[in-house]
Amino acid sequence: MMLDVLSPFRAWKNLFRDPVTVIDPLNDRPGAARYRGFHQNDVDLCIGCGTCEAICQNAAIDMVPVKQLEAPGKDSGLRPKIDYGRCCWCALCVDVCMTGSLTMSNEYKWVESDPEKFRFIPGVDKKYWDDAELGYHRPEDYHLTPHTRAEMGEMEADERISNFDEIVYGYTREQAIIEADRCVSCGLCVATCPAHMSIPDYIAAIRDGDYEGGLKLLYETNPFSQVCGRVCTHRCETVCSAQHEGDPIAIRWLKRHITDNVPAEKYAEIIGGKEPDTGKKIAIIGAGPAGLTTAFDLAKMGHKVVVHEANSGPGGMARYGIPEYRMPYDVLDHEVSVIESLGVEIKYNTRIGKDIAMEELQKDYDAVLLSIGLHLGRSTRIIGTDNPAVAKAVDLLRDITNGKKVKVPETVVVIGGGNVAMDIARSVARLQKQTYGEVKLTVTALEDFDHFLADPEEVKESFEEGINILDARGPQEIVIDDKGKVTGLRTWKVKSIFDEDGRFNPSYDETDEIIHEGTLVIEAIGQMSDVSLLGEDLTEKLEWSRGRIVVDPDGRTNQEWLWAAGDCVHGPDIIHAVADGHRVAKSIDKHIGKAKAKSKK
Amino acid sequence: MLYQPDRSQYPDMGPDGKLDIDLSSGKYLKLWQGPQHPGITGNMSLELTVCGDEVVEGKVHVGYLHRGFEKLMERRSFIQCFPIVCRICVPEPDFNEYCYAAAVEELAGIEISERAKWIRTLILEMGRINSYMMYLGGQAGALGMGVIGQWTTYVRDLMLDRFEELTGARIYHMFIIPGGVRDDLPAGFEDRMEETLKEIEATLKDVQEVMFQNAVFKKRTKGIGYIDPSLVDSYGITGPNARAAGIAKDVRADQPYLVYPHLDFEPVTGKDSDIFTRSDVRRRDVIMSVDLVRQILSRMPKKDGPLMAKLPNVLHWKIPRGETYIRGECSRGEYGFYVVTDGSGYPRRVNVRGPSYTHAMSLLQRMIVNVNIADVASLMVSLHTYPPEIER
Amino acid sequence: MRELYEKLKTRFPLGEFTDQRDNLGFITVDKDQLRPVLYHLRDHEGFSHLVLLTAVDWIEEDRFQLTYLLSNRTRSVDVGLRVMLDRGEPVMETIHDIWPTAATYQCELREMFGIDFPDSPGVMDDFILEGWDDLPPYRRDFDTKKYSDETYAHREGRVTHDPAEYMKKQLYPDEV
Repeated sequence: MMLDVLSPFRAWKNLFRDPVTVIDPLNDRPGAARYRGFHQNDVDLCIGCGTCEAICQNAAIDMVPVKQLEAPGKDSGLRPKIDYGRCCWCALCVDVCMTGSLTMSNEYKWVESDPEKFRFIPGVDKKYWDDAELGYHRPEDYHLTPHTRAEMGEMEADERISNFDEIVYGYTREQAIIEADRCVSCGLCVATCPAHMSIPDYIAAIRDGDYEGGLKLLYETNPFSQVCGRVCTHRCETVCSAQHEGDPIAIRWLKRHITDNVPAEKYAEIIGGKEPDTGKKIAIIGAGPAGLTTAFDLAKMGHKVVVHEANSGPGGMARYGIPEYRMPYDVLDHEVSVIESLGVEIKYNTRIGKDIAMEELQKDYDAVLLSIGLHLGRSTRIIGTDNPAVAKAVDLLRDITNGKKVKVPETVVVIGGGNVAMDIARSVARLQKQTYGEVKLTVTALEDFDHFLADPEEVKESFEEGINILDARGPQEIVIDDKGKVTGLRTWKVKSIFDEDGRFNPSYDETDEIIHEGTLVIEAIGQMSDVSLLGEDLTEKLEWSRGRIVVDPDGRTNQEWLWAAGDCVHGPDIIHAVADGHRVAKSIDKHIGKAKAKSKK
Repeated sequence: MLYQPDRSQYPDMGPDGKLDIDLSSGKYLKLWQGPQHPGITGNMSLELTVCGDEVVEGKVHVGYLHRGFEKLMERRSFIQCFPIVCRICVPEPDFNEYCYAAAVEELAGIEISERAKWIRTLILEMGRINSYMMYLGGQAGALGMGVIGQWTTYVRDLMLDRFEELTGARIYHMFIIPGGVRDDLPAGFEDRMEETLKEIEATLKDVQEVMFQNAVFKKRTKGIGYIDPSLVDSYGITGPNARAAGIAKDVRADQPYLVYPHLDFEPVTGKDSDIFTRSDVRRRDVIMSVDLVRQILSRMPKKDGPLMAKLPNVLHWKIPRGETYIRGECSRGEYGFYVVTDGSGYPRRVNVRGPSYTHAMSLLQRMIVNVNIADVASLMVSLHTYPPEIER
Repeated sequence: MRELYEKLKTRFPLGEFTDQRDNLGFITVDKDQLRPVLYHLRDHEGFSHLVLLTAVDWIEEDRFQLTYLLSNRTRSVDVGLRVMLDRGEPVMETIHDIWPTAATYQCELREMFGIDFPDSPGVMDDFILEGWDDLPPYRRDFDTKKYSDETYAHREGRVTHDPAEYMKKQLYPDEV
C-alpha cells in the first residue's frame, strides 16, 4: 500500500529530460523514403490514357488538355489534374499508371491561401517537389494489370513452309480471356483506328462471353471484321496503353476470336437489317474492302448497289494482294456473302472500259464509286528491269491467288522491305519448298532493321522459314549474262535514304557491293492504281496529285457523280479503306438523297 | 471495500420493463455525456438519467460518425474498396485492410505469398500496440492522469514512424492490399524497430509504476465495472473484455490466421473482470505484442519471388457469387468482415463486425446502471470502445 | 461442417448448404425454423456466440437474406444461417431473448433495411439516422450517388475529358 502511494512519484524522473518533440518540423522532418506525398508526373512519359482517373475511387482526377503537349497521334493530349480536396493518397493511380509516369514525392507540406490552387496538374504546374527523388514509386513485381500477352498458337516453321494453310490458329477461349482481361478500356485505340471500332466494348463482350453482342459491335463499324481480325495493320495496337510496361493488347487477334466464335450462318441475322428501298442505284467499281464497305452501308440505307469487279473473286487487295496463309479465301468469301445477303449485287469479270463503259455507269446510276485498289506494281527502273525474268510482286501474288501455275526458279531475289515484299517472299518460298524441297531466297531492303517497314512478326517468321533478309541494301542493277538470262541482283550498302532536306535520295557505300544470286528478281517496292479504265476524257477532267485522284474530305471527286475511296486514294491500308467506305457511303447517301432517282429499280 | 450504492431512491420498474422515471419529480436529472468527450472514445454520447451521483439509466447514442462505408463499398470495384476500408477505424485501421483483403482473396481464390503473410502479421501487431497505447492514455486520462497519455502518445508516434517507413503513411496505411502487401520491409527496418520496441518497453515500465502501482488508480478501478463471465456469450463479449473475465478467448490462438501458428504466445487473461483487470490485461497484451513483433522479425522467411500474388486486371475484376466471414483478434476483440459477392465487379454487401458493436451498446447500457457518474468515463473507456465500428 | 449439416438435417428441414471453409459453413433455414435451429445450435452444439446478424438485399430475387452468424468458441467453428424474407413484407421474429445483443442488430436492420422485428426492445428508436424520411438507405434501390448529388453541391470548375474522344478530335479533325 505504501508502495502504491510512492510509486507514482517516479514520474518526476522526467523532470530534467529533454523534450522529444522535433524542434523545427517544417524543415527537419522529411517524409519517409516511400512516403505517399504530393504527386509527380513525367508528362513526356504520360500518354493521357486516363486509367488513373478510372481507378480513383474518390473521383479526384480530371483529364484536362495541356496545350504545349499536343502532338496528334502520340497520345490523348490530356493529363491528369488532381483535386487535393478529394485525394486520399492511396496511390492506386500510381499503381495502375500504364506508363509509370505518375509517382509520389515524399513532400507533404504545402501552404496556400487560395483553395483552388490545390487542384493542379502534376508535372505541368511546376511545384517544388517535382524533382524530389524520394517518395512512393510502384515497387517491382507489383502490377494491378497483367503485362504479358496471351500466347497465340501457330504452326511451326517447317510445318507451314510447304503449304499455304493459315499459320495462326486463333485464340482459344482461355487465351482470349487472358488477353481480354488485360485491356484497361482507355480507348486510345478507338481514337486511332480509322474506322473507330469500339474496341474496349467488344473486348468486354469477350470477357462476358457474349460473342454475338461482340459481333454486332464489330460490324457496326467494320463489315470486314473477319478480314481485319487477321490482316489489319492494327494501328490500334501501336497506341495501346498496355505496351509501355508490357505487351500491347492483341486487339487484332481478339477481334478474330469473336468472328471465329459465331457460327457462319448466324452472321446475317446478327448483322442484317436494312431500311426500306429508296429506289436509288449506285455503281461501285472494285469489290475490295473500300467498295464493299460502301456497298454494305448503302444497302443498309436501302439503296440498290451493283459492284463491278474485274477479277473473278471478291476482296480486292485483301484477296489478290495478301497470301492465303495470312488470309484464307473461304473467310473472305464468307465475309462477302454477308454483304451480299443485304442485296448487294457483285458482277465479276467485269472490267470497266472493256466490258462496260464508264459513261454507261454515269448514265444508269445515281452515283459511281471508284475503289480500284493498287493493282499495278512499281518498278525500281534500274538497269535490266525490262528483262522478262524480272517480275512485280502484285502480279505474282495475283497469279498465285488465281491458281495459275507459277513457276519459280531455284534461286530468287526480292527487292523491297515492306509487307508486300514479305508476302511475295514467303509465297515464293513455299512454292520453292514444294518444287525443290528447299528455300533459296534473298530479300534486299533499302531500310535497316531499325527502320524496317514490314511488321516485326513478318520479318521474324520469314527468317524462321529460311528466307535470307538483308537490310540496308540498295539495288543497282539486274545482273544478266551473255545469253540474256538473269543471274542475280547487284546492290550497294545504303549509307542514308533521305538527303538533308528530307527528300528520298539514297546514298551508297560503293565499296560494299554484293551480287545476290537469283534467276528471278521480284520487285516489291510499291504499287499504283490502274487508272486506264477512266478514259482520256475523264482523266483530263479529274484533279490529280502525285498520281492519285484528289477527293474532298468526304471522298467525292470534282465530278459530282463520282466518288473515290480506298487504297487508290490513300495508299495501302485495309482499315483505312473500310473507314473510307463508311465516309463515302454517308456522303453518297447525303447527296443522292436530294436528287431524283435516275431509273426505276 | 466496494462501493455500496444506496438504492432506496431508485425508480420502480413498470410492467413493460421500463423504468418509471418522472423527471418533474426533481429526483432525477438527465445528463448528456458526449458526443465530444475527453475520454478518447470517439464521438458517441451517453444519455444518462442520474439520481444524485448515481446512474439509474443509460442510453448510448451513436450516429455522429456514420459515413456509410458498407454502402459506399457496394458501388466501388474490389480494388477501389481497398483504400476506404481502413478509414472505418482510426486507431487500428489495419484490421479493416486485412479482413477485407482476406475475404476478397478467399472469394476470388487467390493465394498470397508466405512473406506477405508475415508482413501482414507484423503490421497487425504494430497496430495493436498503437491502439493499446491510445487506450492506456485514455484510461488514465479518464481518471485524471494526463501524463500517461503524453507518454503513450510519444511512443505511439515512434511506432507511427515505423509505419511511415514501412507503408508510406502514418495513420491510414493502405498497405495490406488484396493479393498481398504493397512492398517489402525497408532496409534497416529491424534495427529501428528494435529501438522503438525498447522505448515502448521503457514507457510500459513507467506506466506500470505510475498508473498501475498507484493507490488512486487502484481505488478507482478495482471492483468497479464488473462483467460477470456468464454474460460473455449472451452479450457477444470478446477480446480483453472477455479475457479479463478469465475466459481465454483470442482469435489468434483459437482460429490461427496468417502466421500465428508459427508464433509462440499464450492469450493473456485476468480473473477479476473489473476495470483494473481489463487495463492490466491490455498492458500485458502490449508486452506480448512487443514479443510477437520480435518473433516475427526474427523468424520471417527470406524473400523468394514476388510479394504480390498475380491479380486479374483490377479495373474489371469480377468475383463469383459467394459469401464468407473473416475474423481477426484486434486490440478490442473479434473484428470481422462478412463479405457477399454476386458475380459482378462490386461487392454485394459488406458487413463490418466490430467488437464495440456489442461492447458499447447493449453491454455498456446494462453495466452503466448503478455506477457513480464519476466512474462513467472510466467504465466506458475500460470497455475499449470505438464508435466508428458501431455505425461505420 | 458437412457433418454438422447432416446431423441437423435429421432434425430440421434445411435448405442449401455451402461449405465455405473447414471452419465455416452456411445453411439456408426456413423463416419459422430459425428459432428451433438457433436453440439447438446454442444448447446442444455449443454455438453460444452470436457473431453478427445482418441482411443482404437480393433485390432481383425480391428477397432479403438475413444472416445469423454463430460461433462455437470451444471448437472454433462458425455457422451462418441464411433466412430468406419476402422483400415486400420484411418481418422477422426477434431473437433478443436468446442473445440480448441481437436487439442492437435488429434496431439497425430496421433502420437501414426496413426489416421489422416486432417486440425487439427499442426497435423503432433512431439508431443512426435521426429524422430520416427516405428509403431505408442500405436497400439496393437507394442510390447513394443520386442522394448525394441532390443533397450536396459539387465543387465548381471540375471538368474532365474522355481521352478517346479528345484524341479522336485531334487525329481526325474533319470528322463530325
